[in-house]
Amino acid sequence: MNEPLVTLEQINTWFPNHKPILGKPTSWIKAVSDVSLNITEGECLGLVGESGCGKSTLGRAILRLAPLYSGEIGFMGEDIGRLTGRRLNPYRDKMQMVFQDPKASLNPKMTIFKILSEALYLNSRVAKKNYLEQSVKLLDLVDLRPEHIYRYPHEFSGGQQQRICIARALATDPKFIVFDEATSALDVSVQAQVINLMKDLQGKLNLTYLFISHDLSIMEHICSRVAVMYAGQIVEVQDAGSLFNAPRHPYTKALKNAVPIADPESRQELGILKGEVPKLSDPPSGCHFHPRCDYKEDICSKKSPEICKTEKNSWVRCHFHEKLWEQGVLIDSKELL
Amino acid sequence: MNTRIENTGQNPDSLAGLTVEPILQVQDLNVAFNIPRGKAKILEGVNFDLYPKEILALVGETGSGKSVTAKSVLDLMPGNNRETQGQVLFANKDWLTLSNKEFQSIRGDKISMVFQNPKSSINPIFTLGEQIFRLIRLYLSDQVEDIKQKKQCSQKQAMKIIAREKLNEVGLTDIKRMLKLYASEVSGGMAQRYRIALALISSPEILIADEATSALDVTVQAHILKLMKDLCKNKQTAILFITHDLGIAARICDRIAVMYAGRIVEIAETKKIFSNPLHPYTKGLLKAVPKFGKNEPLSFVPGIIPDLVNPPRGCRFHPRCDQAMEICREQKPESQNIEDNHTVSCFLYLN
Repeated sequence: MNEPLVTLEQINTWFPNHKPILGKPTSWIKAVSDVSLNITEGECLGLVGESGCGKSTLGRAILRLAPLYSGEIGFMGEDIGRLTGRRLNPYRDKMQMVFQDPKASLNPKMTIFKILSEALYLNSRVAKKNYLEQSVKLLDLVDLRPEHIYRYPHEFSGGQQQRICIARALATDPKFIVFDEATSALDVSVQAQVINLMKDLQGKLNLTYLFISHDLSIMEHICSRVAVMYAGQIVEVQDAGSLFNAPRHPYTKALKNAVPIADPESRQELGILKGEVPKLSDPPSGCHFHPRCDYKEDICSKKSPEICKTEKNSWVRCHFHEKLWEQGVLIDSKELL
Repeated sequence: MNTRIENTGQNPDSLAGLTVEPILQVQDLNVAFNIPRGKAKILEGVNFDLYPKEILALVGETGSGKSVTAKSVLDLMPGNNRETQGQVLFANKDWLTLSNKEFQSIRGDKISMVFQNPKSSINPIFTLGEQIFRLIRLYLSDQVEDIKQKKQCSQKQAMKIIAREKLNEVGLTDIKRMLKLYASEVSGGMAQRYRIALALISSPEILIADEATSALDVTVQAHILKLMKDLCKNKQTAILFITHDLGIAARICDRIAVMYAGRIVEIAETKKIFSNPLHPYTKGLLKAVPKFGKNEPLSFVPGIIPDLVNPPRGCRFHPRCDQAMEICREQKPESQNIEDNHTVSCFLYLN
């Protein structure tokens, strides 16, 4: 078993909602609350949830791009949650991020060489005279040709631009990359190319990924484990294969049923989840999911469930997960798959 | 053109076995833009029919001309440097020959459209109430008068009653509060429902949904898709559903038209497209869709969509096609009927 590369202990990321002129904020938007997760070296952890559930904020908080209200972020065996400025820099280049919109994250005035050199500047292991050689190597890693190096971002298609973003992320020899909806803006056939590339690179360079997405169907193709997030909390963590076939949390099931299956023969009825995503400034009492849950009971609105371990590598946050599991109500019959 | 063909939709109580006239016919539509680099031939010979009570999906990659097709039907494309040829037949009239003024009287009335980003297609400086009242005044003034007489209420109250009814139809609740809100104060799902309600006020015969659910979450998307399907069933509205998501097309659409680089390469019923895809591009597209329960590398169509200023000669797909033949590089394939209702433009199926 590999060592965990990233360990999160009770992470909270809160943003002030209302702040008086003097004194402390009186109310908070709890974008991420009480998240504890381990990301093992060499694995790809998926993070799914609806928009506004805090999944991007969690990704940014791990990279110390979002403020940390409380909790510990362990990275390469060191608590980086409280480090700032120069003391954080040695860890910064070990973790990278790839964003959703490749066009918006590449400077239109810079050539690809300049974009990559900027990132290489942070990598102390590469001498300045070797930038060109190294840039060509990076482009080769992401299946782009050397002659692309003096072009500008607008000369590339969306898929190629995303490859450049990945190449830039690789420039600092990172160990850990956060992909924040990195394939959502791409077409299916281009998305497939980028996903295959990401998987290849992971094997080649021994990278660890956090793959944030709202699209459940690609999770299984890239991730080994998936964490499901709802209203700032992790509600379920499981192996990608079993998560969708045998979910333990009602929200996971609802999320899965809402994804249209690309097969007209399957008798899937699109599952309708009633209600709206709760406001993070004023989440529902007790279990955050209870107003939308089909299996709720009295306790759900009063007491917040603890996250508990069900099997190896599998956690769930629900009062009745054992009961629901025994009854098998969350498991789809084979016909539906 | 085949004006009379059988429509055996996926929908069990659709018009199986009956011969119906298409409600909308797009015939040999060509759209080109003159840009500084030359002439970009965005659409080249697009042909399709839309039948009453059906949902037709228009699928394809970004830049394949799906939105241009839809916007051309409503003449919403900017006109400065555009060249349009072909016919859009609706109610025995060629829409493209109408003057702007004539068009204005039917656009939105008989055919209305829902766009991708609900928040940017709602005016941000008027309340949601003001915007729906404006449409009610325009299209439902008779009903407003009726209610005024019956209930002895003011015009505003009558309009509120109608607005409540229309917004309830799309599954919105708490209308009283909602009418006072601005577009920025509602969630994406609510905004899109509201937008659909607006589009339906004129009781259109055709609804064009241009990536109407792409900007929404899967859970909200499921709501909207169900709404669309019910709409088609209950109100008998024909829907032209533009999407890049084959999952959506499989779930709600009766027929699918696959577009590539400005041409429709294959049209068939949904089941046939998935069980027996003919065009190499359709096959490639289907293989690239991620599926549950399969953990294997995704296959993809190599290459990218061509530059439409200098499109490839012959079949526009041949540079990316693994079955390309000599003839594909020289000639443009004609669309041909393989079996009933299954049309494909590819030389592989030339008899």
